[in-house]
Amino acid sequence: MSEQVPAIDEAFEIEAQALAQIMDELDYFQILKVPQTVSPVALKQSYYRESRTYHPDRFFQTQAGDLKDAVSRIYKRINEAYVCLRDDARRNKYQVDISGPERAKKLRFVEASEQEMKKDREQEVGTTPQGRKFFMAGLQDLAAQRFAAAERNFKMALTYEPGNLNYKAKASEAGKLVPRDGLR
Amino acid sequence: MASEIAIGIDLGTSYSCVSILENGQPLVIPNEWGERTHASVVSFLDDGTVLVGNSAKRNIITNAENTVYSAKRLIGRFYFSDEVKKAQAVMPYRIAEGENNSVRIQIREALFSLPEISALVLKEMKAIVENYLGYEVKKAVVTVPAYFNDNQRQATKDAGRIAGLDVLRILNEPTAAALSYGFGKDITQKIAVYDLGGGTFDISILEIGKDVFEVLSTAGDTYLGGDDFDDRIMTWLAENFLKATGIDLRLNKYCLQMLKEAAERAKIDVGRDAIAKVKIEGICQDPTGKVMDLEATLTEAEFNKMTMDLVQRTFKVCDEALQGARMTASDLDAVILVGGPSRLPIIRTSVRHYFGKDVMAGIDPDEVVAIGAAIQANSLLESKGDHYLLDVTPLTLRVGTVGGYTDKVIDKNTPIPIEKSKSYTTNRDGQDKVKIRVYQGESNKAAECELLGEFEFSGFRIAYRGEVRIEIIFEIDTNGIVNVTATDVETGQKTTCTIRLSSGLTEEMIKQAAEKNAATTLARGAEAA
Repeated sequence: MSEQVPAIDEAFEIEAQALAQIMDELDYFQILKVPQTVSPVALKQSYYRESRTYHPDRFFQTQAGDLKDAVSRIYKRINEAYVCLRDDARRNKYQVDISGPERAKKLRFVEASEQEMKKDREQEVGTTPQGRKFFMAGLQDLAAQRFAAAERNFKMALTYEPGNLNYKAKASEAGKLVPRDGLR
Repeated sequence: MASEIAIGIDLGTSYSCVSILENGQPLVIPNEWGERTHASVVSFLDDGTVLVGNSAKRNIITNAENTVYSAKRLIGRFYFSDEVKKAQAVMPYRIAEGENNSVRIQIREALFSLPEISALVLKEMKAIVENYLGYEVKKAVVTVPAYFNDNQRQATKDAGRIAGLDVLRILNEPTAAALSYGFGKDITQKIAVYDLGGGTFDISILEIGKDVFEVLSTAGDTYLGGDDFDDRIMTWLAENFLKATGIDLRLNKYCLQMLKEAAERAKIDVGRDAIAKVKIEGICQDPTGKVMDLEATLTEAEFNKMTMDLVQRTFKVCDEALQGARMTASDLDAVILVGGPSRLPIIRTSVRHYFGKDVMAGIDPDEVVAIGAAIQANSLLESKGDHYLLDVTPLTLRVGTVGGYTDKVIDKNTPIPIEKSKSYTTNRDGQDKVKIRVYQGESNKAAECELLGEFEFSGFRIAYRGEVRIEIIFEIDTNGIVNVTATDVETGQKTTCTIRLSSGLTEEMIKQAAEKNAATTLARGAEAA
């Protein structure tokens, strides 16, 4: 087995029930036990890890009761979290939501209308071919940790679409990651 | 606990198959004549017994009115649906209207619901295993097309209960096939499962990460299957006959059945030998009373020409699935073909072209789904946690709003189990109940979606409009079945209901049907060749 899955014992039971209790106070990153900067690959790994732990099939023969209820609640929330975070447009909106003053109210993602989502999606990768091209190049640089190149590409994208908020956010994100002080 | 066992049943439109795990190895169980797949045909004999399987199929012509086939095309559908109208035109058995727009099959004086018919096929599958093992089995995983909606899943589950089975899970066919392919192999792959059955087409894109089987997307067409290929050949045979003789064979249901049988055989022959000779002796009489034969030769080129558009339709669905998974065909590591019609060279060649890779060899397209179901059944029974199926809901769940429109609640391709809540308020002063209509489909217009049910919630405080707040929780469980709970936010009062098709069976009806099913004797032996 590549991942260690916790045994279903008394300690697990206590932990699961405690988790089910406080779930409404956790954001999706906390539910999946990942940092807010998590990469898509690491996000999926965490989703698989949590699935191995809380998937209802593991508890199929567990007698109906508190543990089964807790696990069922937790796993549904894990799926909810993953659905939101695996989608860039949703994830960006969610991250803004939970960083704002209304965090407590926005821990569970509220879908924007279909129209808005479409606009967001266009906004996300851009509306001009040149803007999209530099933006995609920037994303690749970012994934490869070439932060200076990423920042350059995002800024190039911005020259084609100055109003694109996602470009702006990414440019500043990359900018912050560039080692500026010359010390490593 | 040695004797406890759970079986895997692939309940197909045309054929069914049953499998168990024996000493950890999946095993397809043949019947007493060595047949490994069984026609999903139910023939009601004069002596009150019921014949199911390949021997029943031979009765489609001789005992046409009392022999039911392709029941899966009708299960979970409303009487007014197109599929039911189409079936009425071609099926030799009588399709009647039951209460609340439900569909019933009339056999002599008796009426049967569709779950009751399917339950007889399941009873036969159960009997095949019991005959092999020598003891009773009570638990099963039953598969359904991934694209089945809630009504169809519910009805299939009801069929299992009527057959005296504890249905541990309603499992999606492509997911079962993927499990059968990847189980215990420790692979990390992205795969496509192209499942062309007798009556339905499904495509699922999965990512297998060792013991985790994540369905990334699924798409399908529940009106497209091998039957449609048969229909094309039938039409071709009938048109040619009409041109030559001036007689339209399709006007007579008896001739139609002979044509259908010949067409199915021609499809199989042309797939295997690239040419099929069709000969139906004595298909009809001309106006002078002379007995006429039908003879034709079907070449592969001709067959491909007449079915190409059907094949193309499957790829439109594949496009949709790949898009849902945010992938292109080149991202895939393997393609698995499932379902009898996927054996056709035209399918194999076109699939190879579309995906740009050879299809996986060594997988039996007729048995792979039942085997996957058996693996899952065993795993659930023992709660082993040796693999995890992360499946999705195939259709967007919606709730009706004003003016015949709907609002999205849960997107298609969302992993299950999942739950989502929505808040509502009353819109009239003194309102004492709220009605919620729940739909599945991809249109925002209610008329273009499938109605799952209507759900009424009352007993909250009567007040001015907008004062009462009701929280509705929509849940889709691991079977893909929808549950709805409403809570009065003020008092915390709760009501729960599983969405039931208004034409579905009540608990009482299921109980009665189960008694009837248990009392029915399955005919054996004599009829089988």
